[in-house]
Amino acid sequence: MKILILGAGQVGSSVAANLASEANDITLVDSNANLLNELRDRLDIQTVTGNAAHPNVLQQAGIEDVDMLIAVTNSDETNMVACQVAWTLHHTPTKIARIRSAQYLSHPELFIANALPIDVLISPEEIVTNYIGNIIEYPGALQVLDFADGKVVLVGLRAYYGGPLVGHELQELRKHMPDVDTRVAAIYRRRRAIIPMGNTVIEADDEVFFVAARENILAVMKELRRADKKNKRIMIAGGGNIGKRLAERLEGRHQVKILERSPERARHLSQVLNKSVVLLGDSSNEELLLEENIDSMDVFISVTNDDEANILSAMLAKRMGARKVMSIINRPAYVDLIESQHVIDVAISPEQVTIGALLTHVRKGDVVSVHSLRRGAAEAIEAIAHGDEKNSKVVGRKIEDISLPEGTTIGAIVRGKDVLIAHHDTVIEAEDHVVMFLVDKSKIHEVERLFQVGITFI
Amino acid sequence: MDIKQLIAPERVICLSEISSKKRILEQLAKLLGTGAIGYDPAEIFNRLIERERLGSTGLGHGVALPHGRMGSEQKTIGAFIKLDRPIDFDSPDGQPADLLFALLVPEHHTDEHLQILASLAGMFSDPGFCNSIRQCGSDEELFRHLSTWTSASKAS
Repeated sequence: MKILILGAGQVGSSVAANLASEANDITLVDSNANLLNELRDRLDIQTVTGNAAHPNVLQQAGIEDVDMLIAVTNSDETNMVACQVAWTLHHTPTKIARIRSAQYLSHPELFIANALPIDVLISPEEIVTNYIGNIIEYPGALQVLDFADGKVVLVGLRAYYGGPLVGHELQELRKHMPDVDTRVAAIYRRRRAIIPMGNTVIEADDEVFFVAARENILAVMKELRRADKKNKRIMIAGGGNIGKRLAERLEGRHQVKILERSPERARHLSQVLNKSVVLLGDSSNEELLLEENIDSMDVFISVTNDDEANILSAMLAKRMGARKVMSIINRPAYVDLIESQHVIDVAISPEQVTIGALLTHVRKGDVVSVHSLRRGAAEAIEAIAHGDEKNSKVVGRKIEDISLPEGTTIGAIVRGKDVLIAHHDTVIEAEDHVVMFLVDKSKIHEVERLFQVGITFI
Repeated sequence: MDIKQLIAPERVICLSEISSKKRILEQLAKLLGTGAIGYDPAEIFNRLIERERLGSTGLGHGVALPHGRMGSEQKTIGAFIKLDRPIDFDSPDGQPADLLFALLVPEHHTDEHLQILASLAGMFSDPGFCNSIRQCGSDEELFRHLSTWTSASKAS
């Protein structure tokens, strides 16, 4: 696929790296030539220096051949104009733009074909906030990912002593919970994937991914680890975009304290947040943390722009008695380091959390959501089956008769309003949303081919 | 199927080269637009792209049959482009395409439209026919050659 990315900032450059690794044809535009040179040395991409909204710059970047435009410069206005130029002058098929300002976002009527021609709006901060919000809502979960508008979720968690199923075969799950249907999609044991079978025995410390209807999440989680205490008291370190959004989302049902270093920003936060307690100060200040009862916090989460500060303050909070600590970590090498050392309970990589929103539009076939997992090695994907027995490789077939690539599991099917957990004899129908887990992302093209309709589909 | 009911001389052209799949679909949409009075080529292009997203219409061996649904008229419109230099079309066999037959069918398609698509697929599965098409040097020759196909196949 030919993809043009505008803006070589944090999002633009990580998206370029990610998509270039999948043999896409990538061109990156930015006004900063030094930044581009550095990226071009490292990645297999083309670069163009200039104003990303100017028609001549876009033309130089090959806009007329591009299948997808991703406008992620720091300026909402540049992103919007670039999409307009691409559409009006070149009919670029897919236009994705990052729009941050609520001033624009609160008027969805702006973003239709004969107004601002943007097909997909992405807000990385919103995606990251939802991701963190989900984890806080389901204590004990390492990941909670939505499919089919949240009707189906994929939950990743660590199995632990005390969970009734731990030490038992997976097939006993049915006996334990006759009324709750779920499917274990993958198990990682000592960082290696094992394909779950009925007679697989769950061990403590296994990382288990299961698929279930949203209302059944807690019931299934309780089978795998002793029920975790509900998260009530939350401390957020950093009142930037994500910190503020997170406080807004959580303050209704949780007691939220938010730490912010800048006096002006802290004043602004105290005006816009209704219930959260805004504290002026530094999250590495031991005395402040003590004063604010860090040891009674259920969750401490650091969300500043500074990886090192985030990691250190989360470690400090853990040492001072916060029950669970999480941190945003941008640098991939740090995420790995922190995860392998278990110094922080949950490390969140904004890059990995956000890339799925873009991959959704890169994947072939009618794909409606993608979540990238395990540093991009695995992928969870929701695709819609179209066609009939003649022109589809999945419609009208039982799951056991579909030639899925190795390591790929169909977890659930959403048919209209109903969630069907996948079993070997479930038959796929046209328009079903099929939720799959791929232990090995390199098999994605085989899955794409399965879901693409044949030539005789009109 | 009578192919002459699908195509017209102004909708059958030879091009030396084109730079991308997106551009060739744009060209085909323009050609289809000349036969579909009142339809916006940009909208036709959208329909072709939408269909392409669900699965490539590449048939393999250098042939592609992009198609889309639009409008309520029962008439099916075809357009054809032959490229001197084939273009990557995400075909299942990985081969680039140089023979592209585009179809615009009504929104509520019937078995008849499916038949047309199937006949075209049959027609372009004949390597001898494809090679003779590839030899054509001008738009007129290309049109003549395409038009003869039905009679030849009827005779056999």
